[in-house]
Amino acid sequence: MKKIILLSCLFTRFISIAQEKDTTSVFKKRVLENTEVDFLSSYYNQDGTHAAVSGGLGTEKLKDFATNIVVATPLNDDDFLTFDVGLSAYTSASSSNVNPFSNSTTSTSSGASGHVTTTTVNNTPPVGTPWQASSGASKGGTLWALNSNYSHSSEDRNFIWNADLSLSTEFNYKSFGFGGGVTKLFNDKDTEISLKSNIYLDNWNAIYPTELHEYAKYGNDFQLYGYFKGVAILDQNGNVTTAYLPSTFRPWTSTGRNSYSVSLSFSQVLTKKSQISIFTDILQQQGMLSTPYQRVYFADKANYYIGKVQYISVYETSANTGVYHLADDIERMPNTRFKLPIGLRWNYYVNESLAIRSYYRYYWDNWGINAHTANIEIPYKISDKFTVYPMYRYYVQTAAKYFAPYEKHLSTEQYYTSDYDLSAFNASQYGFGVDYTDIFANATFFGMGVKNIDFRFNHYSRSDGLSANIGTLGIKFIIQ
Amino acid sequence: MKKLALLAVVFVVLQSCNSVKPYEMQKINDPDMKLSARTTEKYESTFQVYREGAAGANGGKSGGGCGCN
Repeated sequence: MKKIILLSCLFTRFISIAQEKDTTSVFKKRVLENTEVDFLSSYYNQDGTHAAVSGGLGTEKLKDFATNIVVATPLNDDDFLTFDVGLSAYTSASSSNVNPFSNSTTSTSSGASGHVTTTTVNNTPPVGTPWQASSGASKGGTLWALNSNYSHSSEDRNFIWNADLSLSTEFNYKSFGFGGGVTKLFNDKDTEISLKSNIYLDNWNAIYPTELHEYAKYGNDFQLYGYFKGVAILDQNGNVTTAYLPSTFRPWTSTGRNSYSVSLSFSQVLTKKSQISIFTDILQQQGMLSTPYQRVYFADKANYYIGKVQYISVYETSANTGVYHLADDIERMPNTRFKLPIGLRWNYYVNESLAIRSYYRYYWDNWGINAHTANIEIPYKISDKFTVYPMYRYYVQTAAKYFAPYEKHLSTEQYYTSDYDLSAFNASQYGFGVDYTDIFANATFFGMGVKNIDFRFNHYSRSDGLSANIGTLGIKFIIQ
Repeated sequence: MKKLALLAVVFVVLQSCNSVKPYEMQKINDPDMKLSARTTEKYESTFQVYREGAAGANGGKSGGGCGCN
């Protein structure tokens, strides 16, 4: 009943808005007066104890430096074009522990498949641990991304359409996306409704954990060839054995991932001091939704290791500095996923110094995850150009139905993952920002007017022990 | 809690029946009142998409274009 009342209110409001005719004579202003250039840069680091590459335990150390240059340029009074070029360079334990084994005399090479192969050239036993990042060739990587957007506004500025194109590439993932949308403004521009759609056609270059790659390459005799030739494999008691056979593992034959999204949004100016926006993304994904280098260990399979015997008994603690558990399989997830997030923003202008920016999102998907996100930011103007804004974000989710911790899955299950990003947890993020805005861009730098400088720093803490810090600097220039 | 949230939504929707004219939009047009994420939130949204099961409804990508969930 309550839902019906609510829907009736929204529907009535929508109809009344749609029937109002905007007869205001509007001075035609260029949609974008000048070319604007944004320089964005961020540094991110994290650490945790539940590495997905090691089946749900081990270091999650990661450092990432990212930078983007965004250029928006007017083509005429009604149209403008935006280009966003981004580069992200990272080092991570997840990448390096695809091959966790290091020894003093190994050589690495990249095969035709793109897989990094390590070849043992003497009898020094390889050593690895999930608690330290390996120094392997895949320790880091770079991500390049290009997004472009074309936007056209009608004469009265009450109708906008846009089209976009995106490309990105990193060592194991490529993406191509395109889409478009329309926006309609009503009611003296108090009301805005928009609809957009995007399609992403992505593809993995499937990189598998070393032991599974070698098994796939050489078959049941893989311990006689390649990486495993001459390498001692230990059982749970520390005895050398040849019984390790990850027969559950099968390489992916199709590595495409397609994502189709439809986004709807409704924005409304409520009063002279408040406005609200309600929006949703309806998303369907198909294809390889598993991450191919994330190990899984089964409770009903025997354990096998490479490394030093004395560390087997302390394998699950950071005291283990010299032994690595060989995988039973990689994570297996369904090849479809339907996501439905619904978000709401409400901003309130308290007075000339203070405003409240708030955000809430409910999320549901058919993998079993339900999540709530709440965010509040309180910008406070300390002068006509400077604003400081403390912020807080709270997030909570239920676990995906395919998640279980290290060695809790059974080999009889159809789908499984030990990725703690899909576990049940809550997270808090808090920080501050400092913003400088001069709408006249009087200060100049290399002939460009400085319109805005924004710096923000946040600390993120997850209930499973993962923590992260991120600092971001953005500078907007105007080219007149 | 659900009742309160429902009442809050109904309240703000009903409030919106009074149109705000363009010349009354000075406060609404304040940069801090924008109904979108700040440009500098871009990277935080990206790492959240990687580190959390949920994504979307925040103006960013909702699943495509990265090797994340």
